[in-house]
Amino acid sequence: MRIVVCVKQVPGTHDASIDPETKRIIREGIKVVINPFDTYAIEAAVQIKEQIGGEVIALSMGPSRAVTVLREGITVGADRGILLSDRAFGGSDTWATSYALARAIQKIGDVDLVICGKQAIDGDTAQVGPGIAAHLHWPQATYVMEVGEIDGASVTTKRMHEDGWDLCSLRLPAVLTVVKDINQPRVPTLKGRLAAEEQQIPIWKAEDIGADPELIGLHGSPTRVVKTNPPAGRGKKSVVLDGTVQQNVRALVHEMRQRSLI
Amino acid sequence: MIANTTEARAEYRNVWVVAEVLAGEVQQVTYELLGSARDLADARGSEVWCVVLGSGVSSQAEALFHRGADVALVVDDPGFVSFVDEDQAAVLERLVRCHKPEIVLCGATTRGRALIPRVAVAANCGLTADCTGLSIDPENGDLLQTRPAFGGNILATIRCSDHRPQMATVRPRVMNELEADTARSGRVISETLQPAERNGHKQILKVFRDSDNSVNLADARFIIAGGRGLKGPDGFKMLKDLAEQVHGAVGASRAAVDSGWVPYYHQVGQTGQTVQSTVYVACGISGQIQHLVGMQSCDFVIAIDKNPDTPMMQLADVAVVGDLFEIIPALIKEISAT
Amino acid sequence: MNQHHLTSAYHVEILPPKQETEKLYEDLDRFAQKYKRVMESGYCACITDNAMGNLAFQGTEMIEELHLPALENQVMIHLNTFHTKDDLHRILDACRNSGIRQLLVITGDGSDRLPRLTPSDVGADGVEAVTSVELLRYIDRAYPGDFDLGVAFNPYEPEDHEFAKLDRKIAAGASFAITQPVIERHPVVDRLLAEYPDFPVVVEAWMSKKLSLLSEAVGYEIPQDAAYDPIENLKTLHRNYPRCEVYLSILGFKTQYDLLQHVRN
Repeated sequence: MRIVVCVKQVPGTHDASIDPETKRIIREGIKVVINPFDTYAIEAAVQIKEQIGGEVIALSMGPSRAVTVLREGITVGADRGILLSDRAFGGSDTWATSYALARAIQKIGDVDLVICGKQAIDGDTAQVGPGIAAHLHWPQATYVMEVGEIDGASVTTKRMHEDGWDLCSLRLPAVLTVVKDINQPRVPTLKGRLAAEEQQIPIWKAEDIGADPELIGLHGSPTRVVKTNPPAGRGKKSVVLDGTVQQNVRALVHEMRQRSLI
Repeated sequence: MIANTTEARAEYRNVWVVAEVLAGEVQQVTYELLGSARDLADARGSEVWCVVLGSGVSSQAEALFHRGADVALVVDDPGFVSFVDEDQAAVLERLVRCHKPEIVLCGATTRGRALIPRVAVAANCGLTADCTGLSIDPENGDLLQTRPAFGGNILATIRCSDHRPQMATVRPRVMNELEADTARSGRVISETLQPAERNGHKQILKVFRDSDNSVNLADARFIIAGGRGLKGPDGFKMLKDLAEQVHGAVGASRAAVDSGWVPYYHQVGQTGQTVQSTVYVACGISGQIQHLVGMQSCDFVIAIDKNPDTPMMQLADVAVVGDLFEIIPALIKEISAT
Repeated sequence: MNQHHLTSAYHVEILPPKQETEKLYEDLDRFAQKYKRVMESGYCACITDNAMGNLAFQGTEMIEELHLPALENQVMIHLNTFHTKDDLHRILDACRNSGIRQLLVITGDGSDRLPRLTPSDVGADGVEAVTSVELLRYIDRAYPGDFDLGVAFNPYEPEDHEFAKLDRKIAAGASFAITQPVIERHPVVDRLLAEYPDFPVVVEAWMSKKLSLLSEAVGYEIPQDAAYDPIENLKTLHRNYPRCEVYLSILGFKTQYDLLQHVRN
């Protein structure tokens, strides 16, 4: 079984704090991390490999520093990594990103399964996984919380919905996107990390994956961000209730009534 | 499809809403989207169409007309009794190519977020996820889509000028539904799923619907969420009682989920769900950044904690200082007394 | 015990590199240098376990992969409850194989990326969650006689509660305790020494000038005239607690390390 895991480097949230005026989160620094959901995707792939054999390939698109997320994947069990990096990919929206990743998956060849995190924590779109599936004309299962039986021909997954879950069997090749509940990613070891540091990570450019220049980067992106604003602050100061239990509860219910919340 | 001239864009008309259907029932988010679609269609001088993909759904068209739809485009197929995204995407793509809507809206639910990206890719059009604001640019008629990114830290406005239709998923509980107007009616167009659209690569083996309303965070107006301060699963029983009282859902911090006090699908935050309820009551949640990014867009935040200095207490609109094991039962009593 | 250990008896905390580091080799090198220096001085190197929930490499794998010497009585491994059972055994086996006897067993801090021992992992089905007490009992039973098990003692917590916890820890196999950082002296530590005269207690000295960090970590209230000199404080601790060994946290290897040999006179 050949499994590709798509991973993304995203800004971390470690150093964030709250602005006392606007009560919004301020991010400081530019520390980048692997998208948290992608760690579950890697673990899911490595577990499948351990169960039925095969190869796990970590794939990312981003600037050259994004090799570190591929190394993280190799540290915890991916066999190799591939980075798509080219100025021509710059400004890609989810349409163009999923196109480029799908082209790379085709170039890798003989891929049975693609696993992505549910979404990336920067864009929060959850569109790239299904987008890859659509470009490849493969079936998909999103919000996967459990991978059941799997063999060379099909995989059974448990999909999470707002109101419950369903079990579905997909014919391979297919694309899965996974949620946190699916597993507990193993903790990286120093031995694994040292081995990952030794690996050469190939960098593929747009022409290497035979991408149509009209379909990548800004050209290939139907959407444009026209402006960004900080959201309106929560504004007012907190009302602090620190009297007796009875006083607090009365005041709280009063506050909620005044706003017609109850 | 590419539509990079005024003439090409003029071929696309009407605002579509893809209905969220569960077990043959049209869901609340659909009515909210119809409310928003009505405004957009009025601004564009066009119609609102509601696309209903489901099994046994033909009878539901009336309710859609009452809530603002002019046309119900119904594909009633027994195969749609459960969610087969590939087949639904295939039929939607054909309908989009055939009827050429200008705008397509869908709920930003687990199903909507799985289905619409497939259609957008196949039909080569732009898609904006999780919108919280939609309007028409008076200059050129483009749809302006506003959405939070970076866990609600940034509001981005997005447009899609040269492709049609313009597609967006919209967060539940953000748009306002119209009051039902029983005098309104409309046209029903029935379509069928073509054999070629039955992809056959996915089989739904089992569907489990949780009858417990306290789990649906996306649809909830009230979320009562608990963290480490609840000390154990019993604390969550208390939250559930409060949630029942206000018809809300129960949320949880990562710490509470990781401790096994409550299942993962209650988790709010970076590795759980992003929520946008009207009221968010945080009980014994200190407010790690990873939790705050999942709930900071809620309209009104109430925090209950012994420690007045936690980030959550700072962020809250109302911060109640005290022992939540005393306050919550008292709150339940006070609310039920009136 | 060798001569050095008896005379100096400093426990020096060293943090292994974080997993997220982008300068792995540099960090490994720095760790090895600090570690070797502690070995040469005859002090005890105390290696943390994913401190504050931040993923870092394990002390045992650092020693193995970097081929560092683990001299008798000169290495202490922190061990918390945020591991899988397999990883726990890997660490314990590695300690046993390299002759590391001293473990500091703590509950620790979790994070999204860390697993957690379950009650059934450590044969403690009656409890909600595994704390240092269950972990101690488990190690004591699974590795009888292999380790000297230390525990944390926090004088900033409600006093009676903390003593009751200490009793549970001792019953579960603890044979020494390390306090949270003490500034000059603390009445609860005095009580500890008075009531447990035969129980070895290591007093922690805060070696950073920034008291605010300590305040955030343990709720230590900073006095008004807060000019803090860590070396002076260390001297005071030796005076006030002559029978205790001292644990140094956030020690400045460049600025403070050479001063240590002159402190205790």
